[in-house]
Amino acid sequence: MSTQPLRAGAAQSQVTRRSFVNLVGGAALAVYAAASGALALLFLRPRVTYGPPARLPVGRPADFASGTQVVLPEARLCIRRQGDRLAAISTVCTHLGCTVNPTETGFDCPCHGSSYDERGEVTGGPAPRALAWYRVTQAPSGELVVDKRDQVPADTFLEVRS
Amino acid sequence: MSVQRVAAVAGEGASLRDLPGRIWRSVFRSRPVPSTELERSQAVAASFFFHVHSAKVHERTLKLRTTLGLGLFSLFSFAILVATGVLLMFYYLPSPEQAYQRMLDLRGAVVFGTFLRNLHRWGAHAMVALVFLHMIRVFLTGAHKAPREFNWVVGIALLLTTLFLSFTGYLLPWDQLAYWAVMVGTSIAGYAPGVGPQIRFFLLGDDSVGREALLRFYVLHVVVLPAALTGLVGLHFWRIRKDGGLARPSGE
Repeated sequence: MSTQPLRAGAAQSQVTRRSFVNLVGGAALAVYAAASGALALLFLRPRVTYGPPARLPVGRPADFASGTQVVLPEARLCIRRQGDRLAAISTVCTHLGCTVNPTETGFDCPCHGSSYDERGEVTGGPAPRALAWYRVTQAPSGELVVDKRDQVPADTFLEVRS
Repeated sequence: MSVQRVAAVAGEGASLRDLPGRIWRSVFRSRPVPSTELERSQAVAASFFFHVHSAKVHERTLKLRTTLGLGLFSLFSFAILVATGVLLMFYYLPSPEQAYQRMLDLRGAVVFGTFLRNLHRWGAHAMVALVFLHMIRVFLTGAHKAPREFNWVVGIALLLTTLFLSFTGYLLPWDQLAYWAVMVGTSIAGYAPGVGPQIRFFLLGDDSVGREALLRFYVLHVVVLPAALTGLVGLHFWRIRKDGGLARPSGE
C-alpha cells in the first residue's frame, strides 16, 4: 500500500498485485460456479417426458350414452354427454392433485375433503379453484380427442354427429 | 544401531513364530500403555475410533445427561440406514412395472428381506425423530447461540436433508400410499409463489408422478442426498471442535 513504489503518472492506488489476482480469480470462480449451476439446471430440466400425452383419444361418441357421464381413471377425466353434446371434466383435485370421485351431487376428493358440484364449482373443502374443463374435438375418424393443455370455460360442450 | 537391535532384527526374520505378531504390528501401531497425561492424550489423538472426541474434552461433555447422546444416535441411525439401504438396492428396481413387486419380493422371497426392509423403515422414522429431539436439546440448552450459530445453520441443513431423504424414500415402494403422498407433497411444492410449478416439474421430471419421478427420487435417495448428508455431518462434527466443544455454562 503506502510502501508500494508509485509508477510515473499513476495515481496512488490501493490495488496490490495480490488483491488484483484475488479479485480476478474470485470473479472467474464466481462466473464458473454460476455457469455450472445454470447448466446443471438446464440438464435436469427434461426436454422429453414419458408420461401420458396431454392430447389423448377417449373413444367414440357412441361409447357414451346420452344423459350419463363416464369416469376414465387412467386419463383422470370425466366424459359427460347430454343429448348430442359432449364435454370433458378433469377429475384432478385443484387442491393437491388427488383424483376426485363422482357423487350424486358432483365430485368429492378423498384426500382432504374438497367437494365440487356437477359443474365442478367448489362447494366445500380446501380446493382453491373449480375443476378444469378441457376442449373436446372430434378427429376425422370420428374419435373424440381431449386436449389437457386447452382449458375451456365450464359448460363448454362439443356438438357431435349421430 | 546397537548390537542387540541388530540381533533382534535378524532373529525376527529367522523365525516364523514371529510372523503373526509382525503382521499385527504392521497394521496396528500399538504403543506402550500410556503413563503420563501427554501420552494419554496422544493415545486418543492417534486412534481413528477415538477421533470423534478431541484429545481433551470438558468433563461435562462426557456425561450422558449433557446431550443424551442424541446427535450420535442420529448418526448411528444414518449408519444403519446406509448399511440396510445398500443391501436393499441389490433387489430393488426403480421402474413403475417392477418397483412394487420388487418390494413385495423383498418381504416374501429374499432371505432376511423383511428384516432389512423393516430395519430401514423403522430406522428412517427413528432418524427423523432423533434429529428433531437433538435439535430440541440443542435449543433448550442454548447451544445454538454464539459462537455456535453457524453449526446450528448446518444442523438446519442436516434436518432438511433428513426430511428430504425420508420423502424421496417414501415413493420407492410405489404403492397407493407412496403415489398419493408424493402427488400431494409435490403439489404443495407447486404452491410456492412464482417458481412453484417449475420446482414441481424439476422434482417430478414430468407433469405428474410417473416413471421419471420414480427414477429421480431413487437417484436422489440413494446417491445425491446421502452424499450431501455425509459431507454436512463431517462439517457439523468439525465445527463442534472448532467452536470449542459442546456448549456449557459460561462459568465452567
